[in-house]
Amino acid sequence: MSILLSSIVAGLLFGMVLAFISLGLTIIFGVMDIVNFAHGEFLMIGMYTGLFTAQATGIDPLLTLPVAALVGFSLGVICYYGFIRFLLRGPILAQLLGTFGLMLLLRNLALMIFGSEDRALHKGILVGKSFELGMGVIIPATKAVVAGLSVVAFLAIWLFMNRSRVGKALTATALNAQGARYMGIPTERMNALAWGIGVATVTIAGALIVNFWPVNPFVGILFTMIAFTIVALGGFGSIPGAFFAGIIVGLITEIPGFWDFITYTFNVGWMADVPMTSLKYMWVYLTYFVIMVLRPRGLFGWKH
Amino acid sequence: MRSLVKINVFVLCLLMVTGLFGPTNVMAAKEIKIGVIYPLTGGAAAAGRELRAGAELAAKLANGVFADIPMTMAQNEGIKSLGGAKIKLIFKDHEGNPTLGADLAKKLILDDKVDGILGCYFSSVTKTVSAVAEQYGVPMINGSSTSPSLTKRGFKWFWRTTPHDKWFTKDLFELLKGITEGKVRGVKGVSKKEIKNIASACEKTEWGSHVSGLIKDMSKEYGFNLKKSLLYTAKSTDLSSEVRSLKAAKPDVMLFASYASDAILMVNTLKAQKAHPKIIWGQDAGFEKPEFRNTLGSSIEGILTRTVFLPKLVEIKPLAGKVNAMYKAKTGNDLGGASARAFTGLQTWVYILEKAGSTKPADIQRAANSINIPGNELVVPWAGIKFSTSGEELGQNVLGSGLIGQYQKQADGSMGLEIIYPFDVSSADMIFPLPGF
Amino acid sequence: MEALKQAFNFSDFQRFDLLVAGSTAIFLLLFPLLPHSSFAMSTLIQFLMFSLYGMGWNTIGGYGGQVDLGKAQYVGIGAFTTAVMLIRWDIPFWVSMPTGMFLAICWSFIIGYPLFRLTGHYFAIATIATSLILKDIFEVWDFVGAARGLEISPIKYTSPDFLRLIFKEDMYYYYIILAFFFIGIFYVNWFRKSRLGFQLRSIKDNEDVARSLGINVHWAKIKTYAVATAFVSMVGSFHACYIKNIEPEDTMNLDLSILIALMAMLGGAGSLWGPIIGAAVLIPLKSYLKEYLGAQVGFVGIDLILYALIIMLISAFEPRGIWGIIEKIRQRRGK
Repeated sequence: MSILLSSIVAGLLFGMVLAFISLGLTIIFGVMDIVNFAHGEFLMIGMYTGLFTAQATGIDPLLTLPVAALVGFSLGVICYYGFIRFLLRGPILAQLLGTFGLMLLLRNLALMIFGSEDRALHKGILVGKSFELGMGVIIPATKAVVAGLSVVAFLAIWLFMNRSRVGKALTATALNAQGARYMGIPTERMNALAWGIGVATVTIAGALIVNFWPVNPFVGILFTMIAFTIVALGGFGSIPGAFFAGIIVGLITEIPGFWDFITYTFNVGWMADVPMTSLKYMWVYLTYFVIMVLRPRGLFGWKH
Repeated sequence: MRSLVKINVFVLCLLMVTGLFGPTNVMAAKEIKIGVIYPLTGGAAAAGRELRAGAELAAKLANGVFADIPMTMAQNEGIKSLGGAKIKLIFKDHEGNPTLGADLAKKLILDDKVDGILGCYFSSVTKTVSAVAEQYGVPMINGSSTSPSLTKRGFKWFWRTTPHDKWFTKDLFELLKGITEGKVRGVKGVSKKEIKNIASACEKTEWGSHVSGLIKDMSKEYGFNLKKSLLYTAKSTDLSSEVRSLKAAKPDVMLFASYASDAILMVNTLKAQKAHPKIIWGQDAGFEKPEFRNTLGSSIEGILTRTVFLPKLVEIKPLAGKVNAMYKAKTGNDLGGASARAFTGLQTWVYILEKAGSTKPADIQRAANSINIPGNELVVPWAGIKFSTSGEELGQNVLGSGLIGQYQKQADGSMGLEIIYPFDVSSADMIFPLPGF
Repeated sequence: MEALKQAFNFSDFQRFDLLVAGSTAIFLLLFPLLPHSSFAMSTLIQFLMFSLYGMGWNTIGGYGGQVDLGKAQYVGIGAFTTAVMLIRWDIPFWVSMPTGMFLAICWSFIIGYPLFRLTGHYFAIATIATSLILKDIFEVWDFVGAARGLEISPIKYTSPDFLRLIFKEDMYYYYIILAFFFIGIFYVNWFRKSRLGFQLRSIKDNEDVARSLGINVHWAKIKTYAVATAFVSMVGSFHACYIKNIEPEDTMNLDLSILIALMAMLGGAGSLWGPIIGAAVLIPLKSYLKEYLGAQVGFVGIDLILYALIIMLISAFEPRGIWGIIEKIRQRRGK
């Protein structure tokens, strides 16, 4: 029983972390229909930012978030004006490969500057702490905090998009860029803003997760793929969709845990030998594929 | 008369010229080119740097005279039997990519015309590179890939100096057996029931999946109960479900084969999940890297890792101390499993060339098959180097052996590895059971 | 017969282009006889392989406009079919290669049918997902060697072995892949002028119009996808014999999928010469940059940085690739 419970809890937590990571991708996609391959690399930059700020100033890693946000926001705006603006005119193929180029560039610049070693934090209020909930459920403090902040971030972005003037302008751009332009909304600036906010959220997520995951220049790609899955599952551009899809994906990555639960509860011998952990991410991709085929707009999609 | 002087001067000049050129011709005896293929960039670049430094240090010792180091190759300048020929290393970078490795091997053999190859760290790359070397009949020495299958292919141009995973895994089970028999320093006899349950998690490429299989076989052989053995992706972002799966099996002993980043992640997750096995053992690689120690700090106390070289050896083996000092002066780090084996790999090349007295592949092959380097010449604690020439494992060094170290707090507060196995050279009491995170 | 005539008919290209193409062909045929380094030889083999991958991708991605980023799964199917059949049952390459193509096409039908209900980004990411699913399955499937992969022992067969494609010298491999390369060019030349080729281009221009013209859009895409698959799987089989050691991580990774699409786009998607030009630029650039800047000077990753900049520039400013630039210059001159 404790296996089942702890798997569910871990899946929920991991899902919220993943949702946080995907938030920026869904904002960017929602506003300008561009899939960003460099998303995971922004995460990596956020991780390095958090790590180095904490190490250089000696402050607690949790307080590095404003720095990460600032770095992310300016990076996003620079990327938009310097590169993405030109991509938007081209076909889908050019957009996909263009952002792939951006990904390669960022990854290899990081490799050149930081080297390929893994770096990790080993100081901080939360680092390495965890508490027990009983029933064998153990929650790492860092993950719990990130999950909590993830909820806060989603609420904030959702309120921003639906309540504030600028947010409404962003939403209008997302729904119909041409129409928005006729209504006097500076869509170019809205796009840049979306990039700024999108990248800032992911660098914040990066600065947070460096509390429990080591960073090297190659961490990005897997997160990019998972973020794609989440964003597509939730429906490209849907913010609440991304949150719930994140939780679903988190639970899917716990399939090996559920498998273990059945194995030990019913004591099925052959089940212990199935290499479930190696197939952990396959279920994520498979879910994506099946849901896409059955419901091409995703679970909560509102545009196509 | 004048013309005679002229002729004399001319002849003298000629003599001087030939005199000048003669000795230089002898001195500039041919260089011996060894192609070295390591992962210098990409994910394993840190290991690549260590390997490169190790091989370069061995080349330096071989090429120059270092009277204070009691090693034949350090006493001689160059290869004596080849007229003092110098070793020249040509480094290539395979980035962990087997296809690229094969291309580079062809380039080294055909374009750079190397006399031999050393490499390649990753077992998968060693596989493709040795296949190319075998086809072209160019000798290759492998110093650091430990997948047992490499020497089971019947290759005639491939020799491996390091012991392979089968020995290391056997060492581990000997240690476990020793614990139950009270042979381990500082540990009173423990009944077998207390450490009977084993679980293993290995990364899923060539190396890790072989280790996983070996653990399966040996646990049966030694009468332990392998409750769970799982494979995971080394590039994984999150290992919490793996760790919970391990925990669910309630093992007393946890065994890992991990590279650097996943080893760090694994230990962090174990700590976060409050796993408390009595023993954690890592199969080298990640568990022995300086990064591992630097990143995790004091939380690794009590973790075991197998290796072939530990700084503590310096106390037992003065030669290792001297080489280690040179290495530390050059890189700032102590010799480790990777660098010591790269050093030994190139050292073996030097001895084989010395014995062959020629750079013809056939002569090198003959020399390699009959070489016998005594243990006191080596920095690693082996009985020597002698390759098997018949039987199932062709080209495997039969005199190698492994060590098992345990992270313990040192006098200066930092974490260092103490020798636990073999029992007769152990440098400290073993911490048992694991203090817990 | 008509098809053959179409395949050898290049008359819609300018004479200058044909001159360049012809002299390149002669150079490629004679190359092994000229003095060369083995590095140049392996670079050229890589170039030919990637041209073929690109040509395959170009049918569906270029002419059909469907952004397929999952070609690596078919490289894997081809490579593993050949390796498994050779190692387990000693079946020669010339049987296992068509078998691999057949299996790959079967798989492409299975996933192609649902896949082509998606469009745009959804389609692109779904292709990546299928490729990763297959890779993950291969990594735990013991019959194909799991993550360890398979090795074709070089000492078990005497070289040259034309049946099993085991050679010591790269020259033999070179000529075999070159033959495939020429066949590929003629095939694509026929394909672009075939009924399916015209259907595809109308689908690319406007799917609704194509449908109203009575074209079965879904079926046309699936058929073309199978064609693209066959190309990739064929080269995959060759790859297995050439490298002799294949692992899912090496032959089926995401980077390979993207590289294939990239070469075609860089050269010019949807044109006959595009993938070849793309491969001719990128492959030597990659291997020589790595050789002279990466390992020797110690600029880690410099090759990939330059490479990334080229991709970014091309996709931002000339999405039609190098061939698009050439055509633009010509139009300007023509006016």
